[in-house]
Amino acid sequence: MWASFSATFNRQFMTMRRAYPWSFFIGHILDGVYIIIFAYLSYHFIFQGQLNKNFTSYTGTSNYLSYAMIGGMLNSFSVSLLMIVSRMLITEMREGTLEALLLTPSSRQGYFLGAAVQGLMRSCIEMIAIFSIGLFFGLKMVSVNALILIPVLSVFCFAIFSQALVLGSFMLVFRDTYITQNTLFVIMTLVSGVSFPPQFLPGWLHTLSCIMPLSYGLNLFRGVVIEEHWSGSMTQDLFLLFGLGVLYFIAGSIFIKRTEKTVVEKYFG
Amino acid sequence: MLEARHLKKYYTVKEKTGWFSREKQLIRAVDEIDLSIDKGEIVGLLGVNGAGKTTTIKMLSTLLTPTSGTITVDGTNVVEQPNRIKQQVNMIAGGERMLYWRLTARENLMYFGKLYGLHGQTLTERCRQLIRLVGLDEAADHPVERYSKGMKQRLQIARGLINDPDYLFLDEPTLGLDAPVARQLRKTVKDLAKVRNKGILLTSHYLEEVQELCDRVYIIEKGHLLLHGTPERIIQTVVNIFHLQAVVSGQSSDSIWLKQELEKRNVQVSVKDSDEGKLLHMTASFDMTASFIALVAKQGLILKKLEATKPNLEDAIIKLAEESHAS
Repeated sequence: MWASFSATFNRQFMTMRRAYPWSFFIGHILDGVYIIIFAYLSYHFIFQGQLNKNFTSYTGTSNYLSYAMIGGMLNSFSVSLLMIVSRMLITEMREGTLEALLLTPSSRQGYFLGAAVQGLMRSCIEMIAIFSIGLFFGLKMVSVNALILIPVLSVFCFAIFSQALVLGSFMLVFRDTYITQNTLFVIMTLVSGVSFPPQFLPGWLHTLSCIMPLSYGLNLFRGVVIEEHWSGSMTQDLFLLFGLGVLYFIAGSIFIKRTEKTVVEKYFG
Repeated sequence: MLEARHLKKYYTVKEKTGWFSREKQLIRAVDEIDLSIDKGEIVGLLGVNGAGKTTTIKMLSTLLTPTSGTITVDGTNVVEQPNRIKQQVNMIAGGERMLYWRLTARENLMYFGKLYGLHGQTLTERCRQLIRLVGLDEAADHPVERYSKGMKQRLQIARGLINDPDYLFLDEPTLGLDAPVARQLRKTVKDLAKVRNKGILLTSHYLEEVQELCDRVYIIEKGHLLLHGTPERIIQTVVNIFHLQAVVSGQSSDSIWLKQELEKRNVQVSVKDSDEGKLLHMTASFDMTASFIALVAKQGLILKKLEATKPNLEDAIIKLAEESHAS
C-alpha cells in the first residue's frame, strides 16, 4: 500500500508542478469568494444586519458573516478534495492509462490515498486564499485550538476522501464527471448549512444533510473557531462524521472494485 | 509455461428494441479456446476484427475474468492468485496509450516500477537498463508529450518490461509505425524471446510480421479456435494453390504442346503473347516449378523469365475467413 501511496503522490506532485490546473484553482477560489461576497452584501445591504431569531438558536452564534465565510471556505475545500480523488480513475480511463494501472499488483487504497494527500496540498492553498479574502470582509475567529482542530480536520478529510471514492465509482459507471460531480455539489451546498442553517429547509431536504460529511464538518469547525466551546453535540457530530466516513469508505472500496471490473469488461473487453 | 484450457468469455449486452424495451443478448467473445506459450517462444494470435484476440489477451493478463476455463502461469492459477501473476506477466498495446504524457520516460518507468514493488537502487538501475534497451537515453528526461509515435511505442516496450515479466502480451505493437521503426521493434521482440527467454504472445494485422516472428500461430474466428500450428504448416494446410509465371521463346506450336503437357499434370495454364515471347500463367495445387523446367528443357525452349508466387499467411487467413463466412 505504501509503495502505491508514495508512487501516486510523487506522480501527482510532478504532474501538478509541470501542468498546474490553474483554471480549477481559480474556479474553486471564485466559488468560495462568491459565497463570502454574497453573504457580505446581502447581510449588510439587504437585511441591514438583521437576523432571524431562529438563526442564533440553530447555530449557537450571532456572527452570520463568519458563519457564512467558514461555510464557503470549507465547501470549497470539500469540493476540491472530492474532485481530485473522485476523478482519478476516470481520468486514467480517458488518458488511456487505466489498463496499465490495473495490470500492476498495486493497492487501490494506496493509490487514492496518494492522490488525496497530494490533493490536500492544493486544497489547502485554495482554502488559505479564500480565508485571506474572508478576513477583509469581516471573518472573525474567536480561538483556534490546534489540539482540537487537527483531529476535527483529520476526521473531516477522511470522511470527504471516503465520499470521493463513492463519487468516483458513479463517475466510472456513468463515464461522466461534469454532471455527476455537479449534481452532488449542488445538493451538498444546499443542504449542508454552507450559508444558512439546514433547519431552515423543509424536513425531507434537511434529512439529506445527515448523509453529507460537510454538514458535520461545518458544525464542528464553526464550533471550534467561532463558538469557542466544545459541547456534547459536537462530540456526537465527531463520532457521526467518523462513522459516516467509515460507511462511505467501505461502500466506496466495494463500488470502485466492482465498477473497475465493469469498465474493463464493457469498454476494453 | 502459460496454459489456457477451455477458455470462455461471455458477455450479456442489452440491445434497445423500442422506446422502453431492451433485449438481452449473449455475446460469446471467446468460446472454448486452448492455447499455450512456452518461455523463449513467440506465439501469434490471429483473426479478423472481433475474433476475440484482445479479449483473450486481457484474460491472460488478469484484466478480465474468464466466464469459465482455466489459465495457469507456471502452474499458478490466474483467477486464484492475480497479484502473483501480475508480477509474471505484462502487456503492451499499440498506439499511444498506457503512458503518462506529462511525465518523462524515466518518471514513467519509476512510477510503474514502484507500483510493481521495486524501489531504491534496483529500480533506478532497471529503469536505466530499459531506457538503454529501447534506445531512449537522450530523450529519457523529456516529457513523453514531446515524443514521436515510435518513441512512445519504444517506451511502452520498456514499461512492459519494468517488472521483468516471464510472459509478455503484445497487442498490435507496430500499429501505425513507420517501416524502419517497426523493423527495429520486431528485432527487439525477437531478442526478448530468443535472448532473454520471454514467452511472447503477439497479435498483429501485419501478417508478414507474424510470419517472420512467430514460432507458432493460433487462428481464431468469432471466439473459436480454427487452426493452430507453425506458419508454414498453416499455409500448407489452408492454401494449396501455387502460381507460376514464365516467358518462353519459341513457336506457337511449342507453347500449345507445353500447355497440353502441363494440363495432363493437373496444371491450369493460360498463354498470351508478349514482346519477349509467350507468357504462361500456371496455377496448381502443388509446386509445379520442377516439372515445368523439365518440359521446357525437353522441348529445347529458351526460358526468358520465371516467377513463382508462394502462398503466405495472409492468403491462409483470407481463405479461412471466406470459408467461415460461407459456412
